[in-house]
Amino acid sequence: MTELSIRGLTKLFGATRAVDQISLDITNGEFVSLLGPSGCGKTTTLKVIAGFEHADAGSIAFDGNDVGELPAEKRDIGMVFQNYALFPHMTVVQNLAFGLEMRKRPRQEIQTRVAKLLDMVQLSDLAERYPRQLSGGQQQRVALARALVIEPRILLLDEPLANLDAKLRDEMRVFIRELQRRVGITTVYVTHDQAEAMAISDKVVVMFGGRIAQMGAPDEIYDRPRSREVAGFVGRVNLIDGKVSAVTEAGCRLRTGFGEIDIACPWRPANGDSLTAVLRPEAITLAPTDATGLGWGGRVLSAYYSGNTIDYRIALTDGSELQVQTFPTRRFQPGDAVTVMASGASFWPLAEAS
Amino acid sequence: MAPKKRHLAPLLLIAPALIVLTVFLVIPYLNIILMSFRTPGNGVPYGAGWTIANYGKFLSDPFYLFQIANTLWIGVVTTLVCLVAGFPVAWQLARGSNRWRGLYYGIVLAPLLIGIVIRSYGWTILLGNNGVINRALIGAGLVDGPLPLMYNGLGIIIALTHVLLPFMILPISSALQGVDPSLEAAARSLGASRAITFRRIVLPLALPGIQAGSMLVFVLAISAYVTPALIGGLRVKTMAVTVVDALIDTFQWPFGSALALALSVIGALSVIAFARLTRTKWKAP
Repeated sequence: MTELSIRGLTKLFGATRAVDQISLDITNGEFVSLLGPSGCGKTTTLKVIAGFEHADAGSIAFDGNDVGELPAEKRDIGMVFQNYALFPHMTVVQNLAFGLEMRKRPRQEIQTRVAKLLDMVQLSDLAERYPRQLSGGQQQRVALARALVIEPRILLLDEPLANLDAKLRDEMRVFIRELQRRVGITTVYVTHDQAEAMAISDKVVVMFGGRIAQMGAPDEIYDRPRSREVAGFVGRVNLIDGKVSAVTEAGCRLRTGFGEIDIACPWRPANGDSLTAVLRPEAITLAPTDATGLGWGGRVLSAYYSGNTIDYRIALTDGSELQVQTFPTRRFQPGDAVTVMASGASFWPLAEAS
Repeated sequence: MAPKKRHLAPLLLIAPALIVLTVFLVIPYLNIILMSFRTPGNGVPYGAGWTIANYGKFLSDPFYLFQIANTLWIGVVTTLVCLVAGFPVAWQLARGSNRWRGLYYGIVLAPLLIGIVIRSYGWTILLGNNGVINRALIGAGLVDGPLPLMYNGLGIIIALTHVLLPFMILPISSALQGVDPSLEAAARSLGASRAITFRRIVLPLALPGIQAGSMLVFVLAISAYVTPALIGGLRVKTMAVTVVDALIDTFQWPFGSALALALSVIGALSVIAFARLTRTKWKAP
């Protein structure tokens, strides 16, 4: 197992800073996702780690040894590509054996290891097929097996599920994660799909414009985002602007256009500060207006039913809109007057100046 | 529309091409086959009887057998030179930046834009004993006398390579365009050096293009007439030149026809043998 350490990594394409001063430590056997929109530098970072691109500044070390000057073929990495990049003129077995042949392993050992990996990805029956004779999911598993059979120090995956349909994608996500745990390999996974990154990773690194916007455990990123951009990228979000009207022990009271709310705050704001708080749509509950005196008044603008949930747009008294997601145990129609409720703990104030 | 008429549509579509091919290719070919079994005539194109002596004459005369060998040799060397010289160009066309691609294609196709006679005369100006290249070399004191660049196989190969290069470059380039660059990245990540990646991944995948280009160049090289006639002169003759000699200069239509057929059959057999030898189990999608 290998520790990956990146320090001040910078990659320029002309005048563009595709990757800008990235530092990142990935410990043994950890599964880390680089998450961000296209052009955020996540794939470039992966290519620099793999050795396909040369960094303009900064360092990359495997277990403390700098690999910056090593060509790709000497870095001992396993890589899975978005389009799988299986060799079309080789059978599944030949694809898997290629990396071991490059390492000049004895034929007997190659056969044993290829057979073991094929068994692991449940493709032993298709060993003599050519890639084009396989389905997308099967090709994906061959690509994984081909990357793992060489027992690389680090596994790199570049949007490996992007070309699969939704149902298969969910299956493969679980498959990849379980396989990675079983092999116990340090893994860097690049994706633009936040749900995928959340579900699969130990740690998520959110990137914008070549920089790391925030990194942490998936729930940390989701529940305690540091900026609007991060909050918006990892899920749907309501941004609530207000002014601090009182400072309490655990947080503060925020005065907003539609009422006052008591929220938790990890730092001590000053009275009169402007604050923006994040409120996730699923943290909100709706009730009929006549039920209690709590909450804030609102009116349903639209309701979209999607089986296990309903998505509402709610207009509040000051005219601002909230996105709300609830279970369909109780359904409201557009035009219904509702009471909107959310616990103070579900608000998360953004540290950035609003 | 009645179903019967619909059946006629495809036939009508290919009819013009079919008629042209039949009138100008199939019938003349059949005529050549018949002609090759005629007895030689005296003052007329051919005699009254039938014979296989034309083939006997050709097969038993070392002069003609040597010429066949020489023609095939020129074809093979031209093909190899085109392959070696053309592959890097094809690579550049397939993988180079988009901005200059149009210009590169123009440059590659340029030899085909010049008439074949003019182009061949151009080479005689360059390659002759008193030509530009030899005068420059002598003038620079690099050689004492003119190098034999013309009236030999070398000159023919140089001139044929010039004109046939596009036929090698274009199919290879299109095959290389079909090779996903991420395959090379995958091979590198698995531990293959650039050289091994080229040999194990790029080359096999470009093979269909190499096959097509090689067959085109070889067939065109062994059947070329104007270039070998002008550059080979009287000293080095290829089969195509000899065929024309027999038909036009010495008026031996039956024998010339037999030579022409022999050239066609040998060319076809060579191409089939080549295709068999380079056949792969894997089929390009």
